Amino acid sequence: METKTVKQKPLFEGEPIYSMWLRELLRFIAMPSRILATFASPFTWLVLLGVPLSQVFPTGDIQSMFGGLTFFAFIVPGVLSMGLLFGGTNSGVTVLWDKEFGFLKEVMVAPVRRTSLMIGRSLGALTIALIQAVVTIAVALVLGIWLGFRIISIAGFILAVCFMIITFFAFVGFGLTLGAMIEETEGFMTIIRMIEFPMFFLSGALLPLNMIEGIPVLYQLQFINPLTYGVDGIRGFLTGANFLPLWLDITVIVAFALLFLFLGAYKFSRMEVD
Amino acid sequence: MDDVIEVHQLTKKFGDFTAVDHIDFTVRRGEIFGFVGPNGAGKSTTIKMLTTMLHPTSGSARICGYDVAKESDEVRRHIGIVFQDRSSDDYLTGRQNLDFHARMYGMSKSDREEKMEEVLDLLELKGKENIRLRILPEGVRRRFEVARGFMTRPDVVFLDEPTIGFDIKARMDLWNQIKTAREKEGVTVSLTTHFIEEANYLCDRVAIIDKARIVALDTPRNLKEAVGTDLISVQIAEGGERRAAFIEKVKELDWVKRVEEYSNSILLNAESGEGRVADLIDFADAHGFVITSIDEHEPSLEDVFLHFTGRTIREAEGEGTGMRPGRIVGEM
Repeated sequence: METKTVKQKPLFEGEPIYSMWLRELLRFIAMPSRILATFASPFTWLVLLGVPLSQVFPTGDIQSMFGGLTFFAFIVPGVLSMGLLFGGTNSGVTVLWDKEFGFLKEVMVAPVRRTSLMIGRSLGALTIALIQAVVTIAVALVLGIWLGFRIISIAGFILAVCFMIITFFAFVGFGLTLGAMIEETEGFMTIIRMIEFPMFFLSGALLPLNMIEGIPVLYQLQFINPLTYGVDGIRGFLTGANFLPLWLDITVIVAFALLFLFLGAYKFSRMEVD
Repeated sequence: MDDVIEVHQLTKKFGDFTAVDHIDFTVRRGEIFGFVGPNGAGKSTTIKMLTTMLHPTSGSARICGYDVAKESDEVRRHIGIVFQDRSSDDYLTGRQNLDFHARMYGMSKSDREEKMEEVLDLLELKGKENIRLRILPEGVRRRFEVARGFMTRPDVVFLDEPTIGFDIKARMDLWNQIKTAREKEGVTVSLTTHFIEEANYLCDRVAIIDKARIVALDTPRNLKEAVGTDLISVQIAEGGERRAAFIEKVKELDWVKRVEEYSNSILLNAESGEGRVADLIDFADAHGFVITSIDEHEPSLEDVFLHFTGRTIREAEGEGTGMRPGRIVGEM
């Protein structure tokens, strides 16, 4: 009987994580429609929605309604958070796509931790989301010269980016959890849309949270929506005009991220690839 | 350790359905070993257990000495898998897919590049490696997946229905490439197929699976000998009534087991023995028939399947449909 050496898998698997990250980017580059959508989206929201609507809310007294910001400056964090919400949950879709096209089988039988696969994939999606966020901020800063958007400080900007990363991972976990639970791609897309848009509209992304104070249910729903805390945190760090305390935003988003990342990792590790 | 695959009483049940029923076999190093049987016989389920994708219900299987259920990561390091259905990233090129795969198995850059050249060469894919898979024909994409199976220097390569959907030319090419790969790399190859010719052409040994059990296991030659019949095809000068009379007459011979009539020849299923052809010519002469051509040949693996199961593979596939559980319907 010859002796066997059973190698333990290292806790951190650099190469597989890097491979998954690289694959996400290579796929991204391979799909021009995705590149276009990523860059067009900030323009659509900021130029086609932000610019015209800021004419409805001229400067003056009304600014107090938006926590001292112009309407344009107010929606910039909203547009950013939308990118994170859609980008994050969509990474759950890509798990499903891989499942449908058989590629998941190929990675699942590799001698690699499934969590490494998940981390690599999420980092890839994060990279793309951050590129989009940077483009959004750049467009906003240029238009902001006329429409009154500026970042309060460099530190605020850095903190905002960190907070955006946590927010993004929260939605990656959310997407993975849903992705691993739902069997078909078509059903998944429908469900995702049904969840994403209400979350976006009830997050204070486009209108201040207290504006609908008089409307029962809708007003309260805003506070059980995790995106609300994401939007408020990003707004706070970028412009200083947060509605809720920042410690609350951070606590809620971190808790949400941890909960769904563990749930997603658990679901993913138990998923059958057959 | 010369037995690379050791399987003992391996069983897989899906609810009440037994997909694989207490099978035993071993595969030696360097062998090309084939599972032959109709769709739904349990070939793919067996291969899925051996490649750690499904947990056995009972029994055990070891690859290179590692248990597929308890040491699945070690098993994964030692095997290459070519899945039955597509499993590459369409949006990436062949090279990117191969490189990705090798990275996942922790191969160094120089190692990856060296091996890449080798497998591209082996599967005759040079010049196609920088094209996105989605715009390549199915056969070429398939060859990239086979190439991937050999990429990480595995001890055993599993191929699940490697040439399904291929035309004859592509099939012959891939068979020869697999043979060359075995010789050059010295790997053990285990494949499933329901193409009899594939098993006959490629495999050193064949296990015939029917209804979740191995009904016969040997070299294609021995299996054919076990059938115990030879096939003799005869043509006679006259047609019509005379031909019918000849068929009736020939049935009287005690070593003729079955007679089949085709448009221009008559096929005799004969008990093996010396001098059958000469006997038949004498017999025809004695009864006034003129034989214009006569040819004796060995039974095919198709005959082998018939011999061991009492049905042809096609018949077996016909009855199999509709009674298999949902989860393996996609198996084809």
